[in-house]
Amino acid sequence: MLETLSLMGAGFLNALTPINLLMMAGGVAMGIIIGCMPGLSAAMGVALMLPMTFTMKPETGLIVLGAIYCGAIFGGSISAILIHTPGTPASAATAIEGYQMTLRGQAGKALFTACYASFWGGLLSCISLYFFSPLLAKLTLKFMSAEYFWLSIFGLTIIAGVSSKSIVKGLMSGALGLLISTIGLDPITGVKRFMPSSYFAEGINTTCALIGLFSMSQVFILAEKKIKERNKATKFTDKMSLTREERRIIRPTIFRSWIIGNLIGILPGAGASIACFLGYNTSRQFSKHKEQFGKGSIEGVAGSEAANNAVTGGSLIPTLTLGIPGESVTAVLMGGLVIQGLTPGPELFGKYAPMTYTFFAGFVLVQFFMLGIGLLGCRGFAQISRLSDAILIPCVTVLCFVGSYAIHKNIMDMVVMLVFGILGYLMRKFDLNTAAVVLALILGPIGEKGLRNALRTSRGSISVLFSSVVCWVLIALCIVGILSPLFMGKLEKKAEKEAEENSGADIDQLTEEDSV
Amino acid sequence: MKMKKTDIGVVAFMYIVCAYFYYHMLQLKASSQTYPRFTIILLFGLTTLYLVQMIVAAKKHGVESGVDVVFKDFQPKQFFVCLCATILYLICIHFFGFYISTVLFMAVVLLYLRISPLVTAIVIAVIVALIYFAFQKFLGVKLPVGTVIKALRK
Repeated sequence: MLETLSLMGAGFLNALTPINLLMMAGGVAMGIIIGCMPGLSAAMGVALMLPMTFTMKPETGLIVLGAIYCGAIFGGSISAILIHTPGTPASAATAIEGYQMTLRGQAGKALFTACYASFWGGLLSCISLYFFSPLLAKLTLKFMSAEYFWLSIFGLTIIAGVSSKSIVKGLMSGALGLLISTIGLDPITGVKRFMPSSYFAEGINTTCALIGLFSMSQVFILAEKKIKERNKATKFTDKMSLTREERRIIRPTIFRSWIIGNLIGILPGAGASIACFLGYNTSRQFSKHKEQFGKGSIEGVAGSEAANNAVTGGSLIPTLTLGIPGESVTAVLMGGLVIQGLTPGPELFGKYAPMTYTFFAGFVLVQFFMLGIGLLGCRGFAQISRLSDAILIPCVTVLCFVGSYAIHKNIMDMVVMLVFGILGYLMRKFDLNTAAVVLALILGPIGEKGLRNALRTSRGSISVLFSSVVCWVLIALCIVGILSPLFMGKLEKKAEKEAEENSGADIDQLTEEDSV
Repeated sequence: MKMKKTDIGVVAFMYIVCAYFYYHMLQLKASSQTYPRFTIILLFGLTTLYLVQMIVAAKKHGVESGVDVVFKDFQPKQFFVCLCATILYLICIHFFGFYISTVLFMAVVLLYLRISPLVTAIVIAVIVALIYFAFQKFLGVKLPVGTVIKALRK
């Protein structure tokens, strides 16, 4: 206990260095800009900025990525409130009440509520991050080779199933990713496998694949659509603040949404887009001012925003402890972790504990930056959110190329990124799952080592894969993972339907943006 | 739900991938075949399962093209110009280096997408400055100079 407290304290001291503070501010601002632009998503932003973190210390790099993540989730609410277009799917529910408030001349109040609720949602989610992560990480100490194999399969079943319209197509995407992950030298025997040139000796460069699948593919998605002028951001003159009474009203809403968002975040496979609708619906259920819903309720904005930001801390728990990211953004974050040479699990809370606790402390401080930058920069960010897709297309393309080149300073990396960009575009067009491919590229080698080491120790007998209780638990979780889309899909549809009934808004219109 | 004809392409693509990897897997030592074989079987099995689902859907609900859904609002000219410009950009980087290619690529795409020349110039200046300071100065990345430029310098 004392050791943990001292690690927490040291983490804060390390996080408070000028460079870390500067990176937090920069990351949050970058995240808000990415989040408030309807054509870009949080995962895409984190993927795009990944190469920038290579030369940084691991904790600083992770803090930057965490800051972009939190900033982007909040940033989505700015365009949702001011131009009725959620910047990210996580802010779809915010647009319902937020835009109504804007129409009533309360845009400033709506933005303050979104920022205030996001801050508390994110800050409270750090509590569970601090307390549950080490406990869950200890569990993985019991894992042997066979368990690691099943764990990688579990991770894939979760993300492949949930993020796709068809479960089988999602799993196919995961299997395709696993197959691609076998390109390169055999990790046990060193034999060349499926290599058209020696460039692929270390396998497919995960970062290039990430940038291609998430960012470059989004450029092609933008390029295929007619360039439309975005709605004009409403200029607001009302004060950005809440009265004491209003703060008292939204306090229980934020608390409930924190619990909802946190649980949704911890649950692999469910993400911020589900949490925002659940938070919104729950805020209405418990509200004493139900009549205000659909006409611009601050409780509705607070419920949605606190829930989607509470997901951030929660979703890092399975990512850091088990190596199972629940959604696209955390899959990219995990990519950043692996690229830094770190493996999710007990090591992060043992050998690398100082780094992990610095990241946690940074994640707490990021919430304060989000509050400050969010409140001070709302007007400016609102104008940026109107930036045309015509400008975004070449800008993001150039950043994708320079980002992929920066890793090994090899033009072949740019080629790989472009190939994955085209592959990602086609996959998204045909309802395949790009996040599953990325995760498979990360988990594939872990699963392969697990499977082959297990088979080697058992002299080829596959019974070793079913030899322990943990194996059976993981197999059961894999089955749950495959079946979970049925439950999650119903949950999301139910929450959206309820939100539609409560507000009279057209949810389909708000959630039509195609963002990974 | 009706079967989409476009999914035939998805299934065909997956089978081609399986066949390609299977052919190359056979050339590996037996000990190196274990894991690739597992993943090929997995992908083959799932693709076949999806094919069965498609056939069942076709029998129950009929068949639809799917092209109108997949390529809704598709702007072919704009898309292919952007795609070709991106590929040419990559080739240009190899020959003329990063900065010259970036300026050319951005100017072509921005002007093609009807951005005014003034805004185009501002956007290019901002991006080039951002890359210079963030990547070249801050991260110390030496961006490609280009084979032609290298030869000219000599």
